[in-house]
Amino acid sequence: MEKETLIKLEKLNQLRLDDTQKISVIDFFAKRDSEMEIINSIDTKNTERMVHVMPILTVVRDDVEKKLFTRDQLQKGAPETMDGYWQVPRLVE
Amino acid sequence: MKYETVIGLEVHIELATESKIFCSCSAKFGGEQNDHVCPACCGMPGMLPVVNKHVVDLGMAAGMMLNCHINRTTTFDKKSYYYPDLPCSYQTTQWFSPICVNGTLQIETSKGKKDIRIKQIHMEEDAGKLVHDDWTNTSLVDFNRTSVPLIEIVSQPDLSSAEEVVAYLERLRSLLRFAKVSECRMEQGSMRCDVNLSIRPEGSDKLGVRTEMKNMNSISAITRAIEYEVSRHIDALENGTEELVQETRRWDDIKGKSFAMRNKETAGDYRYFPDPNVMPIVIDDEWFDSVKNALPEFPEIKKAKYIELGLSEYDAGMLSESISLCECFEAAYEVCKSAKEVANWLISDCMNIVNKKQWTVDMLNLDGKSLGMLISLVMEGKVGRTNGKKILEAMFDDSSINPGEYAEQNGFIVSNDTSLIESVIKEVMAQDEKSVTDYKNGKEKALMALFGKCMRQLKGNCDPQLLQKLLIDCINKA
Amino acid sequence: MKLFTAETEVKTQKKVVLDDMILTKDLPTCAGSKMLDGYMSLFDAQVVTKLSEAQIGICGKANVGEFAIDLLGETSYYGACTNDGKLVSASAEIVKTGKADAAIVLDVNGAPRRAAAQSDLVYIKPTYGTVSRYGTIPAACSGETVGVISTTANQCKEILGIIAGHDDKDGTSHADTVCQKIKTSSEKITKIALISAFNVDSDTAAKIDNFKTVIEKSGVSCHTVEGEKLLCARVAWNILMSAELCNNVSRYDGIKYGHRASEYTTIGELYTNSRTEAFGDLLKTAILYGSDTLSTENYMKVYDKALRIRRVVAEYFDELFKEYDAVLLPGCSKSFYTEKDIETNKYISFEENACTAPASITGLPAVVAGGVQIVGKAFSDAGLLDLAEIYEKGGK
Repeated sequence: MEKETLIKLEKLNQLRLDDTQKISVIDFFAKRDSEMEIINSIDTKNTERMVHVMPILTVVRDDVEKKLFTRDQLQKGAPETMDGYWQVPRLVE
Repeated sequence: MKYETVIGLEVHIELATESKIFCSCSAKFGGEQNDHVCPACCGMPGMLPVVNKHVVDLGMAAGMMLNCHINRTTTFDKKSYYYPDLPCSYQTTQWFSPICVNGTLQIETSKGKKDIRIKQIHMEEDAGKLVHDDWTNTSLVDFNRTSVPLIEIVSQPDLSSAEEVVAYLERLRSLLRFAKVSECRMEQGSMRCDVNLSIRPEGSDKLGVRTEMKNMNSISAITRAIEYEVSRHIDALENGTEELVQETRRWDDIKGKSFAMRNKETAGDYRYFPDPNVMPIVIDDEWFDSVKNALPEFPEIKKAKYIELGLSEYDAGMLSESISLCECFEAAYEVCKSAKEVANWLISDCMNIVNKKQWTVDMLNLDGKSLGMLISLVMEGKVGRTNGKKILEAMFDDSSINPGEYAEQNGFIVSNDTSLIESVIKEVMAQDEKSVTDYKNGKEKALMALFGKCMRQLKGNCDPQLLQKLLIDCINKA
Repeated sequence: MKLFTAETEVKTQKKVVLDDMILTKDLPTCAGSKMLDGYMSLFDAQVVTKLSEAQIGICGKANVGEFAIDLLGETSYYGACTNDGKLVSASAEIVKTGKADAAIVLDVNGAPRRAAAQSDLVYIKPTYGTVSRYGTIPAACSGETVGVISTTANQCKEILGIIAGHDDKDGTSHADTVCQKIKTSSEKITKIALISAFNVDSDTAAKIDNFKTVIEKSGVSCHTVEGEKLLCARVAWNILMSAELCNNVSRYDGIKYGHRASEYTTIGELYTNSRTEAFGDLLKTAILYGSDTLSTENYMKVYDKALRIRRVVAEYFDELFKEYDAVLLPGCSKSFYTEKDIETNKYISFEENACTAPASITGLPAVVAGGVQIVGKAFSDAGLLDLAEIYEKGGK
């Protein structure tokens, strides 16, 4: 894996690795990469992708409004709130 | 050199549902911050998305109004990016198999009619809202809009001027309101528009550098933004004022300028993949037909029909602007069979009340059948027109009112009992001898005074022509 | 939720322990992660509600590896559990020592199967979609299933009977008539395919031999099948699991609840510092890997390929089921690991899951008994437990 790819991935996933972790992750990627051969040896040109493992009939619900919890309950474990809002550092418009 | 403008639109429309797309929280506009929120809408683990059937109904209805092909199997996908208004850091949308594809919308401008191709319509969830607080220099997050159902209507780049864009948006709004897909209120954000624009030398088939302006929410701002962008692009091409780059821009309507947007989702990889928690939605014939059969005719077809029923061009046009008026008109006409009377009642009397209540036309909640019954009562002379209006007002407040019963309970039934009317006339004549004398001396106005007094005494429940005849008879006899 | 206490002991016939991926209103649910340390859910998982309705007491929560993706609980923020130097699963240990009659677990990457195989317990990972996942912490939703560890097949059957059934709150839940199918055995398992493609240690090989000998006494025939195609399940499952995990844990951003870093000035720092501080190494690695498999560049080559391999594996099982009633796989390849083993190879969970991945990626039911894993046709759960019972009775 290219170093830039790892930097891009860290950024995209809001994570920061130290140098030891980086080496370890690169090693992990290399292992996974070498294993791709196992599945690449199987021709899947005519195989449909399988997202859901079971043929479950679409479950849809009726359009009925229901209130489950109050705002206070939902914000009980919040790190920071103000006037019923969750609070974060200011975003530049 | 002459240039032509190439514009494609992505229009986001919030659907008119009671609850959100994947959870049962209220989808209504407004409410106190974070009041329409549950664990799912604030990104807590454990709740699973269950699709609101009505969202699919409305997605299909929109597609049918725009001549789209409806995908009978449609799926949901996840789109990932970090932003505080996105509580799960992913948006559930349709990437691989949207509900509708390949449609058209016909617009009419000063240059005539033109078909704009619709690439696709997909269903997705809305994001929350951020409020910026200057005192604390923080941003505040409100998840009320999170997961409110949206459809995004993506056009092909077939539009070539601000005029066409406006015609497209107005036609779209009219059709979707008609099909009750959405109220399409730009000022409330239930209709928002992304404009993709590029410029190329006339006749060229190569597209120029494209810029995207996001979240436009007023027709006049869109017009100004397009005009600004076109001249900015031409300026860049002709005079080399700047180098055009493909980017997302924000329109500042006060400054009258567009600005490049730097942050948010502009960079990065959305990493779309199929949502394992939402099974494919399979639309069978029964479901498909139930939506299809419930669709209204297009406004212009209704208008033509109304003109055929004898309405003026103006009246027919007024009525066919709103599906609520159309439905009310048709139901009332079915009962009383007088198109003109129904149109009069709807356009003047009903609209007066709607205006007084500061409603929009679409909030009209009158039962058309009852309105028809009321009009019949007035037409048959069983209820006076003034009393009819009183009944109408009561019907606005209580839609369960039966006009006939209500008239009887409140003494609004016209009496044709000649002896009763005559006794009232005699009483009035006795009280107001002066008017009687005046009339006899040729003052026509005096008759009106006496007529009014009699009518008041009779509480309006009298056929005016009968009263006038009896009144003249009595005066002549006296 | 019905807590198991001294007072309720008289009334409740049974007590179970929940692994820490199952949300409870009255006890914290932390998924073995610093991110959710002390997290209180506002609602109970559907399985918890069902257990309480059946008067089953909950005696506590059991430690899991971070978001249950490891095989031995070694990545838990609260530390690994060991017994006699061996890494053990907390849920299995609680059942084994009789502190609970059963453990309800979320089977994401086969950890409970491994644990049951190691501890000689009985375990069922039911057919996907027959037990509601409402109220479980999402990790790899396309394959994860609520499962039951207990000491006997009959007890597993009983608990499964309570928790299985349709749930309107789970869009991947089968219709109730379909869910009920797993409770009754329609056909007896008489012919088994014994997969030989997996490398196992001598302990595990002995367990397989023993299981085979015992059930053959009851007239079940075992036939060795190479089954090499099942080896690709692990590679594909690692891709799907990591990608889904990456997406599912992206909600933990330090804004709404959970760990927030103490130092940050911008929103980017709030995100990155909170996540960097609160997530362990294996989880971070899986997030990055999962993200990479979904990138524009790799999607078709990697993620899409894995989705197609999932069908290849499913179709291979279908083929086996034409001839055999069930498929016997090892429950693990090495009968135990020590903390030292993990130090040498942090990524054992992405390798040791070879035997469990085939059932994870296909959603097929799997029962562990006598240290081996038997995978059956969809909805054949009761039949698999019947076979486990035959084994328990020594083949009679």
